Amino acid sequence: MITSLIRRSIQALFVILAMTLIVFIGVSVIGNPVDILINPDANAAERTRVIAHYGLDQPLWRQYAIFLQGLLHGDFGDSFVYGRPALGLILERMPATLELAFSALVIALVVGLPLGLYAGLYPDRLSSRVIMSGSILGFSLPTFWVGLMFILVFAVELGWLPSNGRGDTAELFGVRWSFLTGDGMRHLLLPALNLALFKTSLVLRLTRAGVQEVLPQDYIKFARAKGLRESRVISVHVLKNLMIPVVTIIGLEFGSLIAFSVVTESIFAWPGMGKLIIDSINLLDRPVIVAYLMMMVLLFVALNFLIDICYTLLDPRVRMDGRA
Amino acid sequence: MPALPTRRTFNKTIIALGLTVALPVAAIAQDPSLSIGMSTTPTTLDPHEDSSSPNNATSRHIFDSLINRGGAAENQPQLATEWKVVDDTHWEFTLRDGVKFHDGSDFDAEDVIASLMRARDKPSQGFASYTRNIANVTAPDPLHVIVETTVPDPMILNSLSRLRIISSDHVGDDVQAFDDGTAAIGTGPFKYASFVPGDRLELVRNDDYFGGAAEWSAVTLRFVPDNGARLASLLSGDLDLIETLPAEGIDRIEKSDNLKAIRGQSTRIVYLGMDVARDESPFVAAKDGAPLGSNPFKDANVRKAMLMSMNRPAIVDRVMQKNGTVADQFVAEGYFGHSDAVEKVAYDPEGAKKLLADAGYPDGFKLTLHGPSGRYVNDSDVLQAAGQMLTRIGIDTSVEVMPWSMYSDKYSDGAYSVFLGSWGVNTGEVSNPAVSLIETRDNDKGTGRYNGGGISDTEIDALLDEATATLDEASREPLLKQASEKIFNRTWILPIHYENVVIGAKNSIAFSPRGDKYTLAYEVKSAD
Repeated sequence: MITSLIRRSIQALFVILAMTLIVFIGVSVIGNPVDILINPDANAAERTRVIAHYGLDQPLWRQYAIFLQGLLHGDFGDSFVYGRPALGLILERMPATLELAFSALVIALVVGLPLGLYAGLYPDRLSSRVIMSGSILGFSLPTFWVGLMFILVFAVELGWLPSNGRGDTAELFGVRWSFLTGDGMRHLLLPALNLALFKTSLVLRLTRAGVQEVLPQDYIKFARAKGLRESRVISVHVLKNLMIPVVTIIGLEFGSLIAFSVVTESIFAWPGMGKLIIDSINLLDRPVIVAYLMMMVLLFVALNFLIDICYTLLDPRVRMDGRA
Repeated sequence: MPALPTRRTFNKTIIALGLTVALPVAAIAQDPSLSIGMSTTPTTLDPHEDSSSPNNATSRHIFDSLINRGGAAENQPQLATEWKVVDDTHWEFTLRDGVKFHDGSDFDAEDVIASLMRARDKPSQGFASYTRNIANVTAPDPLHVIVETTVPDPMILNSLSRLRIISSDHVGDDVQAFDDGTAAIGTGPFKYASFVPGDRLELVRNDDYFGGAAEWSAVTLRFVPDNGARLASLLSGDLDLIETLPAEGIDRIEKSDNLKAIRGQSTRIVYLGMDVARDESPFVAAKDGAPLGSNPFKDANVRKAMLMSMNRPAIVDRVMQKNGTVADQFVAEGYFGHSDAVEKVAYDPEGAKKLLADAGYPDGFKLTLHGPSGRYVNDSDVLQAAGQMLTRIGIDTSVEVMPWSMYSDKYSDGAYSVFLGSWGVNTGEVSNPAVSLIETRDNDKGTGRYNGGGISDTEIDALLDEATATLDEASREPLLKQASEKIFNRTWILPIHYENVVIGAKNSIAFSPRGDKYTLAYEVKSAD
């Protein structure tokens, strides 16, 4: 277990290092940030001063070396646009994205699992068919359209919920959260539902497929023959076995919820990281782009690791040493 | 199950309650707050870090400048009550007496010196174009400052109107200190309450403001760049006023009983620039794809034919949904340097064909237009429309658009044959766009930085050089008028339209849009 942990950490380190190189070169070939950042009225001398200030007069390899050096001290450099440390900017907006992603995940699981289970256990019932058809809608309707419809119906026409923004926040562990206040919850509901829609359908369909795959297995027949209660058969034998694909997908999807909730964040003016990264790409704010992508690499590496641990808990045949 | 109350029925209950308890309701109505939806996001509250419109508009709520810029770019007294020219390179300003910062400290000449020097010496150089001519600032006494310029600078008042005055106690503070409020202490009409970057700025009224207290006890500036979200917030009543009302919402707003659209003309001009320097232009060819052997845009008749081919009233009406005004020169009537002698070129496709034939291109040619997408209002649609109109007079035109981050450095360096450009005329006078877009490129002088067509007209250069060194307004104006006439009667660029400012607001709000598109809460009034 320990050796495997160490091996994985070293692998992760190399992945991260390779990413720094790819990302750094990638952002350096698109456009010139100075042309975007500098006031159009500036003259040549002022341009030169600004270019030197951002370190863009150095050759690329030296910029990269300076960046790596900073990275060792946990410093991603200062944002060109905001004039503040890039990492701080991202961390400042992370709670908003995290709570949105987490809320969406909870909704997806709470709604998707039971419905999927039901549709899998009773596939011939009309209600199951309705659920399955509904999930196709959840898959195929574009997020931005659903988001706009949510706003139109619930905020503009009915006036039940606010149309955008984060609302009141309360502090916990030194971070401001929306879900701790009533007003914040009201603001959170629509974007979370919007973000959860696709994931709910995904969980639902995965669960149903899992149920139908597990039900005809011998051990289920045996468990029933043993005279176990149906509720125990479902909760222990069926559910536990179908969780492996669900956990894999949920883990990766949680990553994508965090990294790519841009559309929902834009529509609902949710001040999270997604909006920050889109703005930064448009303004070629290299330090922020690089820092963000590095954070995401870290996130996915960590999530994959957690998924693997979950496997061993769910399925004793899977071992961390990689021999199985 | 009893029906849940919707907000509407809930409101009715509240109103009914309010009638019986009328007093507190009336008290609230007399001291209202205001929520504004901004369409762009300021990056920081530090007023000297970066000179972008959202930053400057936001900082204007908390900080003042020596000079105030009116809605039509006129210079008005603010922290300086009067000023005079001492000699060619010295200006004397008399400061307003008795002004206090939000923390209670007194405003005096020391704050002015500290602020101007901080803006000039900041490593980000955000305000360099306004501070580059400031040699020194001195104070003979606490209520007078002398600004010494390196050269005679007729635009110094405009420059000073851009530079916010902060308290000298906070000159050493960094961006972070302004964002968290410790250094965001100005003399302006509102005080800092809280700032969530990318989301909102909360302000409370400065009751002791020297210009008279604002009408709103509290102001929230929400940053909502997404068009749909901003519109929805206005429709649902979360916001009282939104900037840049999206075209798709105008109908709905104008039909509504309690909302309205407010229009005004901005100083941003959108134009087509042309490669007039090279002998062979890269994106021009004969119709069969063979090299043309000449650069048609060097011929003033071809340029004029292109302008005549464009039905600009239709572009403004349909493509821009009336959110623009046809432009014939850099600035509209009433602005400094506008000339009535600039010919207004009307839509005339037949005349254009004839001009083109006379110029030696009876069969036209092939052309690719380049432009940004998402940078200016409906930019790619405007370019498509222009392309179709050019095709109709025989110039087979295709259109290529790309994100601003890829486009910006290419068009200014002359990579294209015909390109869409735009300039916000900050100063409200002709020399500012003319020096950057028309004057011959000279990196040391700082002229022609965005002259992507390689225009070089010695007569215009001479006029501009003289105008930018003339302090006396009465002798400067005719110079700029002549420059306008020469630029546009020689069709060096093809002016399309001025962007309009379109604001969506509740009927209870009165606001007249500014040329610089800033939405200043201090200038927003209640309609009744």
